[in-house]
Amino acid sequence: MSAPPSAAPPRDARAPWWGRAELGVAAFLYLVAALVLVDAAGLDAGVTQRGPVGPAAVPVGVGLLLIVVATVLAVDVLRGGRGAAEDGEDVDPEATSDWRTVALLAGAFLTNAALIDIAGWIISGALLFWGSAFALGSRHWIRDPLISVGLSAGTHLLFGSLGIWLPAGPFTGVI
Amino acid sequence: MLETIDNLLQGFATALTPVNLLYALLGVAVGTAIGVLPGIGPAMAVALLLPITYGLDPVGAFIMFAGIYYGGMYGGSTTAILINTPGEAASVITAVEGNKMAKRGRAAQALATAAIGSFVAGTIGTLMLVFLAPVMVGLALTFGAAEYFAVMLLAFVAACSVLGSSRVRGFASLGIGLAIGLIGLDPTTGQSRLSYGIPQLADGIDVVIVAVGIFAVGEALWVASRLRRTPAEVIPVGRVWMGREDWKRSWKPWLRGSFIGFPFGALPAGGSELPTFLSYMLERRLSKHRAEFGSGAIEGVAGPEATNNSSAAGVLVPMLTLGLPTTAVSAVMLTAFQQYGLQPGPLLFEREPELVWGLIASLFIGNTMLLALNLPLAPMWARLLHIPRPYLYAGILFFASLGMYAVNASPLDLVLLLLLGGLGFMMRRFGLPVIPVIIGTILGPMAELQLRRALQISDGDLAGLVTSPLTIGVYAIVAVLLLWPMVRFLRGRRRPAAPVSAGERTGEEAAG
Amino acid sequence: MFAFASGPQRPRALVAAVLTAALAGTALTGCGAQAGQADGAPVTGLRIMVPNAPGGGYDVTARSAAKAMEDGGLARNVEVFNLPGAGGTVGLARVVSEEGNGSLLMSMGLGVVGASFTNESAATLADTTPIARLTEEPDVIVVPADSEYGDFEQLLDAWREDPGGVPVGGGSSPGGPDHLAPMLTAAAAGIEPQDVNYIPYDGGGELLAAVLGGQVEFGVSGAAEYADQIEAGELRVLAVTSAEPVPGLDALTLRDHGLDVDFTNWRGLVAPPGLSEEDEQALRDLVDRFHESEEWQQTLETNGWTDAYLTGDEFGTFLQEETDRVESVLGSLGLV
Repeated sequence: MSAPPSAAPPRDARAPWWGRAELGVAAFLYLVAALVLVDAAGLDAGVTQRGPVGPAAVPVGVGLLLIVVATVLAVDVLRGGRGAAEDGEDVDPEATSDWRTVALLAGAFLTNAALIDIAGWIISGALLFWGSAFALGSRHWIRDPLISVGLSAGTHLLFGSLGIWLPAGPFTGVI
Repeated sequence: MLETIDNLLQGFATALTPVNLLYALLGVAVGTAIGVLPGIGPAMAVALLLPITYGLDPVGAFIMFAGIYYGGMYGGSTTAILINTPGEAASVITAVEGNKMAKRGRAAQALATAAIGSFVAGTIGTLMLVFLAPVMVGLALTFGAAEYFAVMLLAFVAACSVLGSSRVRGFASLGIGLAIGLIGLDPTTGQSRLSYGIPQLADGIDVVIVAVGIFAVGEALWVASRLRRTPAEVIPVGRVWMGREDWKRSWKPWLRGSFIGFPFGALPAGGSELPTFLSYMLERRLSKHRAEFGSGAIEGVAGPEATNNSSAAGVLVPMLTLGLPTTAVSAVMLTAFQQYGLQPGPLLFEREPELVWGLIASLFIGNTMLLALNLPLAPMWARLLHIPRPYLYAGILFFASLGMYAVNASPLDLVLLLLLGGLGFMMRRFGLPVIPVIIGTILGPMAELQLRRALQISDGDLAGLVTSPLTIGVYAIVAVLLLWPMVRFLRGRRRPAAPVSAGERTGEEAAG
Repeated sequence: MFAFASGPQRPRALVAAVLTAALAGTALTGCGAQAGQADGAPVTGLRIMVPNAPGGGYDVTARSAAKAMEDGGLARNVEVFNLPGAGGTVGLARVVSEEGNGSLLMSMGLGVVGASFTNESAATLADTTPIARLTEEPDVIVVPADSEYGDFEQLLDAWREDPGGVPVGGGSSPGGPDHLAPMLTAAAAGIEPQDVNYIPYDGGGELLAAVLGGQVEFGVSGAAEYADQIEAGELRVLAVTSAEPVPGLDALTLRDHGLDVDFTNWRGLVAPPGLSEEDEQALRDLVDRFHESEEWQQTLETNGWTDAYLTGDEFGTFLQEETDRVESVLGSLGLV
């Protein structure tokens, strides 16, 4: 196992979209470049600037770099070049993307972000842990929730005792 | 010299009492325990635990304090190695190889080389503090914006060697990192860039959030997308202790790291990010096992870990001799000094020799305690990884969220973490290397700041960038590094034009 | 600590609250304005927010204040927490959003005034309930011991001659105290503020290195911070920016040098908007009492801060004046 990631990307024909999906990366780079350049255009050189390098110089440079890189990458992809997906012990190289699991995981993560200030860390953190474990295939209906609540309540008390504030939500004033 | 040794021995005489040793042990234990918690870096750990030292006499307090400091630093590396979640900027680079080692069942070795490296570098660094402090201060003061910029440029050129197997993808990654680094207030004119009126973005995105998002969250998402559903292979237990080979491969990086970290720590704007990163690249270059880099090379843990501890000792140089706190930790330390009515600075050594030397002796003691406590713990930590996969990754997300939230109490940081995780996912899926993003995020803003500061000091004159022999020397090295591969390329076109994306060899050579 | 206050009841309460959201409601109301307790009883549940990182001036102010309150028996378990970001405006926005919360204070100062302009913060100090100004600290104009400028007049001549060629370093970003001081000084000396070559450094420490290393021609920063270096003769003070000379510093004020400007950096406490009258009064009483305590006076001395106690509406008026002054300086630089 643990062979270093292969330098020569696999060039077998998987799905027809496989080769083109990477164009999305180029598109993403163009998007970032556009954001950076538009923002740079709105910067005021300011009366305090001295010398040739003002607040916009570096953003413009970064934006141009991104455009060049995005173009070269797009050409590379169209010519059939592919980045080698990272492998790892827990990654099944044969699998195709399992978007359901990713969505569940991201959902659990966002649930925590949305609830933490309202429901408090004990509840939202437990949901995060349980939801993530569920997304990744754990189906222990008693053990999972118990571990989740144990972890979130335990960390809440620990951080609280250290003087680091975490939102208690409905437990405010109770614990 | 003799007087210095005498002073140091006096310091040990003050510090080495059974009770003080107990304080040291307690400090290291608590420091490690707190430092392991996500979101609590050494500065926070020290700030939180400062009150428990108030009841002690100054020497006892400082001894405990040194233990907390070193313990907190080591705790941050532990999470970097075990769950890919660095606790502070200094251990971001550690996570790169350290976590890969852990994934291969070599967590115990990674933790051990980190602990021993920290000890070696901490000891050497503290020795340098004792004997070189006055010299270092003089050198540090001559280091101005132009010098910093030259060194940053060197770091960027060196970074070309870690662009990975496909250079265009490496540059794409670097560009993304630079763009992330742009976010926030432009320090020179005070205008906000790319922050879209969101106050949480006004200070930029902390490199720790970037690293945790891309490393930990990105990996969890990536694993989720193609989870091995076949009966899970347990991460191999492996041996519990460093083997001969591990020692052989670790000792030089420890020593090199010790000497890289200290001077950077002593610089007023040095910090630990730049030297750990330089150490990583140096070890990669010098290693006989270069192919292993990126999948868990022990040198890539030993070097940076030694470097960050040595730079922590370096930070004390301007702190003790000038009263100049250059990091968050030393700012907190300054507060601690003031609690005892001490003002670090040029007069401290004269006014309170007993305390200063007691403190320095405590650094040695704390460092030794760290090793004594954490080395036996390494295999135990490593066993943590044997929990079932769903719990492991759920736990990583749980602790990453907890840590990031605890720092700023802002749910927005969690959304940011997920977005960066999405970026990390994309990068893994399409083979963009992750190190250049981190480098771009760290070096970009520093380099820009120093460049513009240098130009401002010279009132806009470009000649202000080459003001000293040091800058000229560094630029000469940069030129050699850039020109050398071209020379080699022109001399012998050994291989036919490689396919665009399979330019591994050219990538490697271009940097050499 | 505070988390364990309810001791043995905790596990039961936890289970109960998981079961019923109704209980949650009652628990929430239980945490309101505990600051408004009968005179004499220690205040509980007070939190002080620090809008920047541990170790900074606001942090030390908040933690010293909390300690003085606790040691003096005025409050129990005061919780100090850091909410850093955007020069303090992240914390400011938080305080403004906690309308009516009578057990929250924010430690703040002149830097937050400037930051709310440069960060274009929607929340401003005018939205908060001013409680008290606590301390002030003059800035000093320093040069390294071997500087060619023997006195302030020489520096001023060179500065007037070529503002761009005489870079001045400060420990705060544009809009912060160390930026405002040289700008106000320049304006008073007849130098256009936009001609001033101001180099921002990341705090007094980095600035000190730049001054000692001769990177900048002179530096402007807090007086107390450099007391030791001045005493050791590594730095020379050419002038202090306050209206009165600073005890222990052998330097004239800017007014003594004929410049019509005085400037001090100050720190204080504000509370969220929309407080009930009792809550506001309770907070003021608390601050009044801890300000007089032995512990606080000791803290002032340790840190080299000048007592600048100013409360309530007078502090509110002062805040407004400072805001106007900062706005006019930053306006002349095109930063507002």
